Amino acid sequence: MARVDFEDVAIGQEIGPLVKGPLTTPHLMRWSAAMENWHKIHYDERFAREHDKLPGLLINGSLKQQFIVQLLKDWAGREGWVWKVNFQFRAMNIVGETLSVWAKVRGKREAPAYGLVELDLGIRNEKGLESTPGSAVVALPYRGGVPVPYPFVPPP
Amino acid sequence: MPLLTDEVRKHIGAESAPFPACDPVEKGAVRRYAQAIMDPDPAYASDEAGARYGGAVAPPLYPAFMFRTPFGAPDVLTERAHDPDFDGLVMGVRDGLPELPLHGFALLNGGAEVEFYRYARHGETVFQKSRYADIYERETRAGPMIFVVIETEYTNGAGELLMRARKTIIRRK
Repeated sequence: MARVDFEDVAIGQEIGPLVKGPLTTPHLMRWSAAMENWHKIHYDERFAREHDKLPGLLINGSLKQQFIVQLLKDWAGREGWVWKVNFQFRAMNIVGETLSVWAKVRGKREAPAYGLVELDLGIRNEKGLESTPGSAVVALPYRGGVPVPYPFVPPP
Repeated sequence: MPLLTDEVRKHIGAESAPFPACDPVEKGAVRRYAQAIMDPDPAYASDEAGARYGGAVAPPLYPAFMFRTPFGAPDVLTERAHDPDFDGLVMGVRDGLPELPLHGFALLNGGAEVEFYRYARHGETVFQKSRYADIYERETRAGPMIFVVIETEYTNGAGELLMRARKTIIRRK
């Protein structure tokens, strides 16, 4: 993972996309098993449609948030730190879709020990539907400076 | 007729005492989780790659997924096998909070705000403390829905903060 310095980041710059998919029923089953969550709307199509009135099997929000964190973490690198992430599951993604996680730099501010980058982010499917609007704050080292402290210490 | 009753609303402010996840961060469980999220970060498997974090670690959000059914707990899947409304979710065990009396309501994950401070290392025990921060009803295009906001703090065995999460769960008829 490459180091990204605060000074190298420009407002408007795009991060990613991180592409995942197509996400099949086995992908959803594997995730359900890994976290031991047996919510039927991810594998029991009859229950999803008839009981919960959903259009099909849903891609887990809990899985989508992992992709968001991965994109930011891999971009920040070992010497940066993903401090805050928020996201809203506004639209459903249905099994079979391919998801692209994107982020875009909205702002920058300087803290004493590191710089803070504010990003807007989202998840888009192949039809262009945006399902998961959110934002994040990532700490990056200054050029020639030490890595962001670990464990992370919020700015004063 | 509002969906949200006083019976449900009275849970606002209810909190759990800090309690540990049933298992510490296990290497095999981390591998399955990392493979399921398709994040091959070598820091999830190697002390060398995770040196920055003090050794091999779990993925950032992993602490939030450690609060599973402990060994010897009643088997909810069997208990509710004949309940046509059972959605497969095993709530309550995971956050230590009392289950809301919303039987038959569908549950959707509305989103979350998360703050990270450190990653959980392999072998560490993770504790959580949760509270119902808010429960409110809102009219949406798809009809009235109940929004349940749960705040959770995750710490390691030394009491060091790993992450904070503020999750919104949507319940609807």
